[in-house]
Amino acid sequence: MTQQKQHKWLPYIMVLPAFSIMLCVVVLPVINTVVKSFCTTDGAFTLDNYLYFFKSRESFESFVFTLVVSLSVMALSVVLSFLLALYLRFSKGPVSRLLGKLYLLPRFMPGIAAVYAVMNVIKDAGLIHRILLAFGIQYQPGLIYDIKGIILCNLWFSVPFSAMLLSAALSSVNDSYIESARDCGCSAWNILKTIILPLTYKDIIVSATFILMGQIGSFTIPYLTGPNNPKMLGILLYQQTSTYMDYQRAAALSVLMFLICLGGAVVYIRANMREDVWENTSLHTAKKKISRRTAQGTRWGALTKSKVGESHV
Amino acid sequence: MKRLYYTLGKNKFWEYLLCAAFLLIFYGPLVNMVLVSFAEKYEYPNVVPATYGFKWWNYVFSNGKLVESILVSLALAVVVTLLSLVVCLPAAYALARYDFKGRSLVRLSFLFTNAFPKMGIYTAMAVIFYKIGLMGTFFGVVLVHIVNTMMFMVWIPSGSFRTVHIQQEESARDVGASALRTFFMITLPMAKPGIIVAALYTFLGSMEEAQGSLLIGLPNVHTMPSELYGIIMSFPDTAGAVFAIVLLVPSVVLMIVFRKYLSASALSNGLKM
Repeated sequence: MTQQKQHKWLPYIMVLPAFSIMLCVVVLPVINTVVKSFCTTDGAFTLDNYLYFFKSRESFESFVFTLVVSLSVMALSVVLSFLLALYLRFSKGPVSRLLGKLYLLPRFMPGIAAVYAVMNVIKDAGLIHRILLAFGIQYQPGLIYDIKGIILCNLWFSVPFSAMLLSAALSSVNDSYIESARDCGCSAWNILKTIILPLTYKDIIVSATFILMGQIGSFTIPYLTGPNNPKMLGILLYQQTSTYMDYQRAAALSVLMFLICLGGAVVYIRANMREDVWENTSLHTAKKKISRRTAQGTRWGALTKSKVGESHV
Repeated sequence: MKRLYYTLGKNKFWEYLLCAAFLLIFYGPLVNMVLVSFAEKYEYPNVVPATYGFKWWNYVFSNGKLVESILVSLALAVVVTLLSLVVCLPAAYALARYDFKGRSLVRLSFLFTNAFPKMGIYTAMAVIFYKIGLMGTFFGVVLVHIVNTMMFMVWIPSGSFRTVHIQQEESARDVGASALRTFFMITLPMAKPGIIVAALYTFLGSMEEAQGSLLIGLPNVHTMPSELYGIIMSFPDTAGAVFAIVLLVPSVVLMIVFRKYLSASALSNGLKM
């Protein structure tokens, strides 16, 4: 009896320290922020703080800019990292083993130092420019202080991160599934489409949402490599607080950014809720397709044999 | 090029090309930064520095304020990681093992707080910290860093605890080990990869966090990344490179020490539900 009672309260006691720190240090300030975003400086209720961001052209452009950057970083890094993870999973040479060790490092580097290193290479008087100049080519990459610079630097971080998640997912794809599919004459594209993608679908969504959520509020990379106008929302928020000292507007902007991230979070949760359904159905359909293919194959084989037999007769 | 293509064969050729591109993109900038940091003279059209020396290393290490920020950052990262382990591991274990009411709510609350923009939290946090006298203190900055990476510190070990079979714990209990002993002898060693990945994440997060430390820590606590923003803007490339390398060294050393435990599946287990 005491054992049971202890068990009933134990998880709550174990969760309590972490949860209470989060409650005091994050949740209370967040509630405070949400309340503040609906207030004027005198404390009266208003929606002006929100309307400001939809009325002003500059901030509207920033919204669009942030979405464009975040979505393109998300799409590019998922595609690139999926290719990298596929290569690491299915190629078994020494090169792939070497890359398998090296690709982890970039994710575990302090962002600002790594951004600085990349900046020194891609900026207009940077390494690329200097190397080409040594060959007599006058070329300025024009990457920095531009949308391309932000995307490039972000890819530098998010590709290894998402490759990590996806290669873990791919390692759970059994070799036997693929071999059996191949034995039945499945093309590489079909294997990817009907076996690998359904099995890793969930991990792709997980890595995409985490990349997206990291992008919306990002500060370091756009601050150092991004253009002045339009700017990412993280920079806009920073300016609202530290330059204009307009805390109400900053609060409203925070809430708006949170809502965008929440969209990503909802997709993440929904994808995870379907966990079992996805895995079962995908395996099931893959098996079904394979069996159908094999059936077709044998029938075809029988048919040709019988034809051959007939012609012989 | 053509000769190379035919000697290596089609597949090998593309494989080596991919490898070269990968190394250039991910490690080229770092190698370049190391070169630049040892430059004595590095003028515009030169590809590599003309002369090498320790001029900028001496400069950085003779600047008292910069050295102090290095020490503060290291101390912060260590304290944050240890404290975070103590606070978050029980929560991670509870989330993995016990089916209690509100479990998914607790778990998701870490995600939602992670989704709120950091700068917005910091300013509101500053108001509260000001009231209770935590502004400009070391402990205040520690708290900021802990909540920043709390989600990873709870989720990733939790994913690892889940992969430890409960039968293994039960059999240890059956032969008479106490609950704590079972945890330390059985569960903890088996969940090590996840815990180490999470601890590295926290350490790194603390090393690279700039905005929060700037806002909460000022005027007493100066950390490396917040100094680096100033250096990048106002010093020559070489000084910035030295400082950036100093910032990189601890995480690279930790990576090499713990490389055996660094597994992609530990990270992925933690981030899924």
